[in-house]
Amino acid sequence: MDMTWDEASDTLREWRGMSVRDSEQVVELGERLVRDYSSKLQDELWLVCEQVFIASLDTGRFDLANLCLDKLKEKFPKSSRVMKLDAMGMEAEGRFDDALNVYDELEKLDQTDAAIRKRKIAVFKSQGYTSLAIKHLTIYLQSFMADQEAWMELADLYVKEMDYKKAAFCVEELILSNAFNHLYHQRYAEIMYTIGGQENLETARRYFAQAVKLSSNTNIRALYGLMLTSGSSTQSRGDTKARNSKQYANWAGKMVLSKYKNVWSEGGTVDETKFLPKITPESDLPQLTASVSQMLGQISLSDASS
Amino acid sequence: MAEPELLLDSSIRFWVVLPIVFITFVFGIIRHYLSLLMTSEKTVSLEQVRDSQALIRCRNLRENGQYIPKQAFEMRKHYLLNKEGIITKGKEKPSQAKNPMTDPSMMTDMLKGNVLNVLPMIVIGGWIQWTFSGFVTTKVPFPLTIRFKPMLQRGIELEALDASWVSSASWYFLNVFGLRSMYSLILGENNAADQTRLMQDQMSGAAMAMQQDAQKAFKGEWEALQITPHQNALKHIEDIVCMTHILPEDLYTTEKIPSVQAATS
Repeated sequence: MDMTWDEASDTLREWRGMSVRDSEQVVELGERLVRDYSSKLQDELWLVCEQVFIASLDTGRFDLANLCLDKLKEKFPKSSRVMKLDAMGMEAEGRFDDALNVYDELEKLDQTDAAIRKRKIAVFKSQGYTSLAIKHLTIYLQSFMADQEAWMELADLYVKEMDYKKAAFCVEELILSNAFNHLYHQRYAEIMYTIGGQENLETARRYFAQAVKLSSNTNIRALYGLMLTSGSSTQSRGDTKARNSKQYANWAGKMVLSKYKNVWSEGGTVDETKFLPKITPESDLPQLTASVSQMLGQISLSDASS
Repeated sequence: MAEPELLLDSSIRFWVVLPIVFITFVFGIIRHYLSLLMTSEKTVSLEQVRDSQALIRCRNLRENGQYIPKQAFEMRKHYLLNKEGIITKGKEKPSQAKNPMTDPSMMTDMLKGNVLNVLPMIVIGGWIQWTFSGFVTTKVPFPLTIRFKPMLQRGIELEALDASWVSSASWYFLNVFGLRSMYSLILGENNAADQTRLMQDQMSGAAMAMQQDAQKAFKGEWEALQITPHQNALKHIEDIVCMTHILPEDLYTTEKIPSVQAATS
């Protein structure tokens, strides 16, 4: 990449501000800065060093990581922030116990440092001790109870442990903190759907519907979920309710079908499709369409028989 | 005006005007670095973090509680508001540090603030007024009414002097308050050299007010949550979703439905 050093540092600064973690790019841009232009960056050098250090851990460039860390250690010999980076280096090399020792020390110094406590939890998680990570995370959340990221992490961990009721609690917390994020609603609905049972299915249906509404009909996962939940709750209950849910399933199924139809035909030119990520492979589409149509067929069949 | 009514000695420029600017400026810079040396870092205790985060969570529950199921809402409400709940406890906790005299760390903070800000201002101000008193230093390039005389001509009580002439003592005060942009240019934003910020702090007493507000905030939050009922925002959401986006073929089929039904029955 041809960039002068100040363009590179500007880019890195922008990424720091938006907390972009494109580690390969950061390493590419930052390596030259740290190696050749360290005197020109002045005070910003230390921030760049930190950023490049983490990025080089991500990409496994331990030589560059050590270079950055040495610079930082030389400048700030007693800083807890640098010690934290050091411990992150240990984590990357797989020396989890050493890293944990450092984090314990740092935690004693400042109990309110959220980043260090989170790193500890991350260590437990990467070691595979999910239940231990959950335990520490719950303790953390007793104090930092407005930390969205932590709730999200805890929800994931609970899902991994198949403790869906508690996971649902965490996602409720997320919905409370940001009620207009359709992904939270979708996640809540998925968890409810997994728990199962008539009542939870209805809850799931409601939240899938809310996710569809908030995403203005673009969240295909929620649409699919709405179809499934409405379709499966048709078997029981009274007449009007059954008819309603059939209607929802019908609607959602048709929406999904029209989405499938348009996924590859809408974009048009190659340039546009390049920027719109399309996860659904084109070869899978006929099969997917067929399965949805089949489900729709079943619903209309049960409609006709009743 | 054909010629100026008053001709100033040019050595006033070198020995009064510029020294005052220089002294106030250097003094501001020194104070900035001194305060950097002397400020003790404010540490936040875990309890304070928990309190503030609990308040945020409580507010979230109040505002967005309608988006979670009723049972979940009531559970959280109970958790926050029961006898051992964090909001209730926060409400009942006596606000700490009501009296700054009982808290030694606050005392030293206040003392440092005074030593750094008020004392030098008095000393330097007094010294300048004593050393450079009685000079007419400069003239503002526009006419002013007589009301400006006490502001611009402190230290010179002359009836006949035009109001646009500035005395040395007033020149000092103009510098004290007018060098803000110079400081922010050299020392960066939020520097400690600026006198005007100090004045604002004294006016509002910001630091003291925050301490006492914690209890009030808890009380307000407690009352507000107590009277918040759960409303279900997701009632009939499926109908709303399906109604707002009607598929083209559905338009067709709804028209057709009666005939289809007639055919099947």
